Amino acid sequence: MNFYDEIINRIRKVTGERGEGESNISVSAALTAEITFISAVLIAAVMLRKLNFILMVIAVLLLAAVLLTSFPLSARLRTEQGDGFSTMIFYVLLTLGILVSIFYWGGAGV
Amino acid sequence: MNPLIPVMVVLPILCALLLNLLHGRDRTVKALAVAVAVLLPVIPLLAGYGVHYFGGYAPLSENSTIAAGLPGSIKSSYLYSFHPAITYVFGSAQRIFLVILSVVTFLAVLTSLNEVRRPSGVYAFLMFMGTAAVTAIVLTDDIFNLYVFFEIAALAQVGVVLCSGVERNYETALKYMMIGGVAAPMLLLGVAILLALTGNVNISDIVYSMRSGLVNPGSPLFLLASALLIFGWLYGTGLPPFHTIKSAIYSKALPHGSALLQAFSVFTFTALAIVILRMFYHVPLVRWVMVFFSLAGMVLGISMALMQTDLRRMIGFLAVGELGYIGIGFGLGTAASISAGLFQAVNEALITACIFLGFGTIFYMTGKTDPEDIGGLMAYKPGLAGLVMLSGFIMAGVPPFNVFQSKLRLIQAAIQAGVPELGILMILLSIVTFMTFMRAFYSVYLKPEPKGMELESRSVPRSTVFSMVVLIIICTVLGIAPWLATSHFTALIQGLII
Repeated sequence: MNFYDEIINRIRKVTGERGEGESNISVSAALTAEITFISAVLIAAVMLRKLNFILMVIAVLLLAAVLLTSFPLSARLRTEQGDGFSTMIFYVLLTLGILVSIFYWGGAGV
Repeated sequence: MNPLIPVMVVLPILCALLLNLLHGRDRTVKALAVAVAVLLPVIPLLAGYGVHYFGGYAPLSENSTIAAGLPGSIKSSYLYSFHPAITYVFGSAQRIFLVILSVVTFLAVLTSLNEVRRPSGVYAFLMFMGTAAVTAIVLTDDIFNLYVFFEIAALAQVGVVLCSGVERNYETALKYMMIGGVAAPMLLLGVAILLALTGNVNISDIVYSMRSGLVNPGSPLFLLASALLIFGWLYGTGLPPFHTIKSAIYSKALPHGSALLQAFSVFTFTALAIVILRMFYHVPLVRWVMVFFSLAGMVLGISMALMQTDLRRMIGFLAVGELGYIGIGFGLGTAASISAGLFQAVNEALITACIFLGFGTIFYMTGKTDPEDIGGLMAYKPGLAGLVMLSGFIMAGVPPFNVFQSKLRLIQAAIQAGVPELGILMILLSIVTFMTFMRAFYSVYLKPEPKGMELESRSVPRSTVFSMVVLIIICTVLGIAPWLATSHFTALIQGLII
């Protein structure tokens, strides 16, 4: 089985559980979202070179390994970014907690 | 003092209150709404630059009569330049923002009045009240006043969604309010901390206190206040983690409502980002956090847009994703990047409004929003399809339009700032935005018409087409002559960068 079929099968597995069909357009859109997300995260991770070059190399390699072995991210992302109130408020509170912690204990020199 | 400065806020509020009272008198509502909507862009064009002190309480330094009798100890102290009144500042940047906001309001009001059988005074009330609130957010130099109008704008947005009659709009509006119940008090807490530390809510006075060493700007409490302001900024603008609810809000409003709501988001985004940068430019973490959330908004917004099966939701996510470009401009923190970010804000408000109106015509004609149920509309309205496609080109950054100019400047600014990765990401995400748009365009206009598709209307109101044409013309003019907008930002940027 080639790489493309593998990806489609995994997308079908996730979307099929919700009873949704998929067309060529939706599968190609999901693939594009997948590639966009992975490449954007990896390119963004390269910016860690501003902090430390070795940290950047480790982060990029780790992220690449995790992202490429976690297909299909886009379908999972869609489930995670759904309209459920509990999911939304969870991420809101998580962000608030992280922001406050980093700023309060991080100091002005960060 | 310039009397036209408060009129920019007072006029839409008065109009809103009257429209609410006159609900049911269709002709009067229509005439009043159009008359005031026409006046709104004219006022900032006529008003001279200046400052307005509510109640006439100018700083002592500007009141020669009182200043003459004051002892030297007061004259040499901070109190001499202290702002006792709520202060509104109207400069060249505020002028361009308010003109663009007013133009979008005018076109949204005009479209709404012509797309419904009976004009609603309540709906028009909400549109004008939201416009007044965002105008005040742009003008005010008082952070508590900003918070009050921030809340009014949020309530007006909820009202616009509640009036839409779109399926499950009540649920989305309720969720937005409940999430706002967490986020907005955090913004207020940030304001309260700043008041406690500086004894002031005037932004210029707070900045003065920080820069002159009256208070320690590196203290953890100051940094906590900055975190809370950033959190409020994320809520007001719809960057992650608020991107899901913000895109839902756009998708549950009527198209003209969505066009206006995204303009509210863009200018609230800009005004709050300016306030945060004025106060916390010296903290690099603040700017990096801005970049992080903007980038997250772009990636998540555009990725999620690709996977939507509802046209309105797809455009909603695209609108959220495009906001990230503005944030990157602010986050990079150079004069060139902030200028490009401000220019992108102006362009974003215009073109996203055009796209919402354009895709709104599909809903108007078919009553459907799932691309699977729609197709072949090119045969019915080829001219309108051309306008929609043109607006997609503009949003993606195709030359010679305005968004091309602002995105190019953003990419150049990222490279100059030593972060070419951001430039690459902006190019990549612009390409994906274009692809997402073309996917929707193909599904609606080029794909063969599905069996059983029935049109609810074969025509589209002229006012909608007029609004789209006006917006595209402005985009083209700003693309050919970008300095018409960018020349207004110089003074503002000089005040931001330390």
